[in-house]
Amino acid sequence: MNRFVRRAAYRTSMFLLSVVLVVALWEMYKVVGPQDGGKLFGAGVLPRSNDTAMPHVWTMLSRYGRPEVRGSDKRVWVVVLAGAWFSFRLSIVGFLLGSSIGVGLSVLMSRFRLVERGLLPYLVVSQTVPLIALAPLVALWGGKLHIFGFEWPRWLSAAVLGAFLSFFPIAVGTLRGLASAPAASVELMESYAASWKQILLKLRFPSAIPYMIPAFKLGASGSVVGVVVAEISTGLKGGIGRLIIEYAREATADPAKVFTAVFGAAALGLTMAGVIAISDVYLMRNRPKETSS
Amino acid sequence: MSAVQVTGVSKIFNQGTPKQVDALIDVNLTVEPGEFVSLIGPSGCGKSTLLRLIANLLEPTTGSITVNGKSASQSRLDQDYGMAFQQAGLFDWRTVAKNIELPLELKGWDKEKRAARAQEMLELVKLPEFAEMYPWQLSGGMQQRIAIARALAAHPPLLLMDEPFGALDEMTREYMQGELLRICAETSTTVVFVTHSIPEAVYLSNRVVVMSPRPGRITNLIDVNLGAKRTEDTRAAADFFTGITAVREALRGTHADHANAGAVRGVEDR
Ligand SMILES: Nc1ncnc2c1ncn2[C@@H]1O[C@H](COP(=O)(O)OP(=O)(O)OP(=O)(O)O)[C@@H](O)[C@H]1O
Ligand SMILES: [Mg+2]
Repeated sequence: MNRFVRRAAYRTSMFLLSVVLVVALWEMYKVVGPQDGGKLFGAGVLPRSNDTAMPHVWTMLSRYGRPEVRGSDKRVWVVVLAGAWFSFRLSIVGFLLGSSIGVGLSVLMSRFRLVERGLLPYLVVSQTVPLIALAPLVALWGGKLHIFGFEWPRWLSAAVLGAFLSFFPIAVGTLRGLASAPAASVELMESYAASWKQILLKLRFPSAIPYMIPAFKLGASGSVVGVVVAEISTGLKGGIGRLIIEYAREATADPAKVFTAVFGAAALGLTMAGVIAISDVYLMRNRPKETSS
Repeated sequence: MSAVQVTGVSKIFNQGTPKQVDALIDVNLTVEPGEFVSLIGPSGCGKSTLLRLIANLLEPTTGSITVNGKSASQSRLDQDYGMAFQQAGLFDWRTVAKNIELPLELKGWDKEKRAARAQEMLELVKLPEFAEMYPWQLSGGMQQRIAIARALAAHPPLLLMDEPFGALDEMTREYMQGELLRICAETSTTVVFVTHSIPEAVYLSNRVVVMSPRPGRITNLIDVNLGAKRTEDTRAAADFFTGITAVREALRGTHADHANAGAVRGVEDR
């Protein structure tokens, strides 16, 4: 327990330190960076440091406390939080969908070499399809598709695109993990006449956990990216993605506003990663220290 | 009825390909109940292969194997034997007690019965206070004792061991040999034991099986007459050295048809 608390405290303080560092870098660049961008060998490489492109940190933070639009009593932080919560739920649905598909596929692939040979190349190819191209297609299902009397809700399309980005790292990571069980341990289980299912549950999955945790981390952030990009490219209302495009339209008049939504999206990703990190510490609590990440 | 009956067994890996290996040719071996038999021979002579054939982890190319009067595959399904390897092979995510319970779990025992047996086994290997520790918190020798406890947990009539003490230091090794003899006497278990060490084979066994490589076969069966009860004094007894000399002579013989007749590679004199 003590170790648990110490590690959590260490991680949190490291995170806070890194936030302070980023803020300091941002403000420093605003002091020394060129106001209208810098050119290097004729190409614009240095970002502009004026207040429209890079608002001060305190301007951005204080924007959260002011109303969303003039005269409204809704403050920005309320709107951003509601949007993030909406997208968070979609990401969770996408992540759960993606991890069940990913783990399911990896079990199938580890069971049948033929499935692995036949399927894995297609999975790799699937990840080269740009999400932007896929999003409108999947969005079309919304309101049109009916499965067993269920109407396909529009939000489900966004969750499916989240699942699309999250299942791949999970499938590959779990597959590697399932194969990582030492041959001698498999032989031991066989000497006890253990069935395939018993070997899977009592040996392969426990040995796979150190491989699965980083894979699930990638999957969780993939799901957030998928959902936010789907919201942006299909214009789904209610989520943080929609807020980003709406606020971006006001970028010249109110530059700090779009950043409030961008940070909302970042916080969303961090929350997802945090959930995985907590389960990591929990699941690896009784393992030798050097194998836990 | 013999504990193990190996009749006319050959094992050829990758038969008919350029990588063909004649691991074992026409092996015959009978092990009686309660007997302690060691397999010794140079590296690559097929000791592990023979043990895995008995365990039904491999199928013989020709010949037949029975364990307790049943086919090898049936006795594997019935969990008639326990196995221990050079690496303890404990599961990191299970406590010591839960590791010992693994074979019982797979047999479908209920929880209380498993816990009681695990505690009993921990006492047998003299580590009762370590039940709730994790394997990686134990020393190598302790882990090996837990692995032996696991192999014996279901009270199998037969124990198959492949260099179980190979990774231990000399002191721990001798201690473990004594422990193994004590445990096997208490539980009247039959043991087939693979080793690289001549003194270990002689100290432990009723019979030493000497094997030779390429192709793997049995060249000598040497009876050891050290009596039923063996103590630390046995290691200084004249009969002990007679046994060691006999096994060493037999091992030399296995290399008579090779250029380097003098040296017995892969077999330790300690
Ligand atoms: N699965 C396998 N496929 C192909 N060849 C194998 C296989 N297992 C063992 N062999 C070969 O069979 C021969 C005997 O191997 P085995 O492991 O039984 O030797 P051993 O007597 O146990 O040696 P050591 O003392 O080094 O453990 C070796 O030549 C080895 O290369
Ligand atoms: Mg071997």
